[in-house]
Amino acid sequence: MDSITSKRLQRLRIISQFFFTWLFFFLLLKSGGAAIEHLPQTGFFFYIDPLFLWVNVLSGPFLQVFLLALIPLIMTLVFGRFFCGWVCPFGALNQFFTWLGSRRQRRKIPVSRPSLRLKYLLLIILLVASLFASQLLGWLDPLALLTRSSSAALVPGANFLAQHALQSGAQNQGWVGKIVKPLYDFSRRSLLTVRQRTFLQAAAIGLIFFGLLLLNLYRRRFFCNSLCPLGAVYGFMAKYSLLRLSLNENCTKCGACSNHCTYYGSPFQDYLKSECVLCLNCLNDCPFAAIDVRFQLPRSVKMPALDMGRRQILAAAGCGLAAAALPQIGVNKRTRAHDFIRPPGAVVEKEFLKKCVRCGACLQACPTNAIQPAVFQAGLEGIWTPVLIPVNGYCEYECVRCTRVCPTQALMPLTLEEKKQFKIGTAVINRSTCYTYADGYNCAVCEEHCPVPEKAIRFREVELYNFRGKLKKVKQIYVVPDLCIGCGICENVCPRTDAPAIVVGAEEEQRENFL
Amino acid sequence: MKRRTFVKNGVLFSSSILLARPHSAQANPLTAAPVIQVKGESPYEITKRAVLEIGGMGKIISRGDVVMVKPNIGWNRTVEQAACTNPEVLRALIELAFNAGAKKVVIMDNTCHKAEDCYQRSGIEAMAKKLGADVRYCDETRLVAHNFKGEYLSKWPVFKDYLEVDKFINVPILKHHGSAGLTIAMKNLYGILGGNRGKLHRDMGENIAELAGGFPSHLVVVDAYRILLRNGPVGGRLSDVEMRKTVIVSTHIMHADVTAAVLFGKDPREVEFLQAAHAKKMGEIDITKIPVKSLTV
Repeated sequence: MDSITSKRLQRLRIISQFFFTWLFFFLLLKSGGAAIEHLPQTGFFFYIDPLFLWVNVLSGPFLQVFLLALIPLIMTLVFGRFFCGWVCPFGALNQFFTWLGSRRQRRKIPVSRPSLRLKYLLLIILLVASLFASQLLGWLDPLALLTRSSSAALVPGANFLAQHALQSGAQNQGWVGKIVKPLYDFSRRSLLTVRQRTFLQAAAIGLIFFGLLLLNLYRRRFFCNSLCPLGAVYGFMAKYSLLRLSLNENCTKCGACSNHCTYYGSPFQDYLKSECVLCLNCLNDCPFAAIDVRFQLPRSVKMPALDMGRRQILAAAGCGLAAAALPQIGVNKRTRAHDFIRPPGAVVEKEFLKKCVRCGACLQACPTNAIQPAVFQAGLEGIWTPVLIPVNGYCEYECVRCTRVCPTQALMPLTLEEKKQFKIGTAVINRSTCYTYADGYNCAVCEEHCPVPEKAIRFREVELYNFRGKLKKVKQIYVVPDLCIGCGICENVCPRTDAPAIVVGAEEEQRENFL
Repeated sequence: MKRRTFVKNGVLFSSSILLARPHSAQANPLTAAPVIQVKGESPYEITKRAVLEIGGMGKIISRGDVVMVKPNIGWNRTVEQAACTNPEVLRALIELAFNAGAKKVVIMDNTCHKAEDCYQRSGIEAMAKKLGADVRYCDETRLVAHNFKGEYLSKWPVFKDYLEVDKFINVPILKHHGSAGLTIAMKNLYGILGGNRGKLHRDMGENIAELAGGFPSHLVVVDAYRILLRNGPVGGRLSDVEMRKTVIVSTHIMHADVTAAVLFGKDPREVEFLQAAHAKKMGEIDITKIPVKSLTV
């Protein structure tokens, strides 16, 4: 193919990657900010993800919107792994970091076949595990990983840095301040969050994310080649795709085509259709225009392929079985008690763990920053599932955003009226620390904030001996469990500085009554 | 005028100037700061009329002043739910302030719910921005310690923005409040505070009174167009809201609050913070001793 067309095609690929990356972050940021009535369809990238389709088929009820995931699958049969090279926003980020480190990688480190094979084995492990209770696909699915990392680390981190940079600039008395001040005022109103968002394990999630990106400096598109289960799905399909790179008579077998190949291959000796993400770098690297893009029936040409040893597949399936079984035999599976609450609309815990893809879309959508990625609260397999941490934020009474953005309906879509009735837990007063009991003086901040119109938190006036031994009239707080919906604003606003004297627990949570 | 009365009045007048300290002297029934109470269909019109009756905005604002209009934007609630100040009342005040020559009108409040939500849902942000007011969010890095010089409330973090303005217009909404009984202008000043405000709920009455004593409001406009009768301050249920179609305007914060309490149907003596303010000699608690001028437009 001539060099002008090659250049154009490559540029088109880069534009496409920019566009989809922009679209991804646009939708993500929109899900938190927009008014509920104008919430855009933020789940686009999830609905075109075949792994999410798989999760939905397994956990049911089937959502028709996931049929969209068949489109990239069918397109892969024609074009190969175009999704990885042209659409995937995490792929684009990996490509970008690969480009940053391109000087370092110029030394040819051939990617060994085992490292390319790893992602297929990971896919097998995850798929086998998902047939049983454990649903761990979201840990590695690139779209879930990117959404989660962006919600919990990238976006709040960028917010922090921008806030502090602009703020110190705005405080400058000289000309710097004059320029930065309006910029700061503007961004405080529109771009930045008024209150810095904070997340459990923000550092861990962020380190994993940046670690994965930095690995590209070591090997080109490390994640995409070795870890990505979605890449493995597309790789498997791409083997049978129609589009392929072929050599014409100009080829001198110089090997320049592998200079920037994402999997260190080259069309002339070890072209792997399953690994080629159609970045088309080779077209530009070829000094003799010897590479063509062609449609050809897969059977008509004999081509090298990645052979998966039967033993490895069996071993991976075995690992999958272990991954399915081990979390299921922890004591947390037997006990009724658990010290976490789920966001509104959450289905029964057993179902929830099957449906939730750990994508973290709800983390970003929650306006008060109440929804957090679980550490170990919900057991080993519950890592990064959403839990509500009232000390960090409360469940806003007039909001259903999390139930709308959840792609797999692990959080059932609720109307505002349904949500106001949906009981996620019950508040309990700790009488040994609540001021109105322990110290004998008035407080009632929790009562004030209780959003339930009839007030689920009330007070009654009693006479008691306070801590000075004086008989005093005190407005003592009590909870009406039947009215309490467990939103947690009481725990959030409790003025005690050691630990809140009113806490929301999972007692009487509505979802347990479904079975 | 007889010479005797002239001398007597002169002595009274000068001594009153010498003795009078803001918020400290027990108000004389005759010289007590007046309150205007206007009833009518349009919240915008009654506000304009009430300010006119008190002497006009020009009496309060000087040309070039930076004016803070401090509404209650505490909650993620709509106008109909009557938890935040009516934007129409604010519209009148912002217009009047600009007409009186204000250089800048600032609107901000330290909210209880998420700030962005409250500003948006109350309708205040959109309205104020349209009029060219400076709508700000509370910035925690701008907190400074302010000394209210009270017995209960001494040093407490306050947003610098409130201290930097020339004039402060206090625009609360009249509401039921679980622990304070009512929330009106004095309680509205909680919005200038940062820090762990919940701690101030202990001895709340005293704290509210000292807060108002340590931070002057140049004009008080109580929005009683819709009032929340029960389940305040957050409310939410429309059946708890009643139309009173009234605004109360005064330069004296306590007299405005006492009048509003009476309008609400509560004996001011039963409201803790008014009791405390009365004990601190901040003003009259007996409505009959306050010159209230009521009119309907």
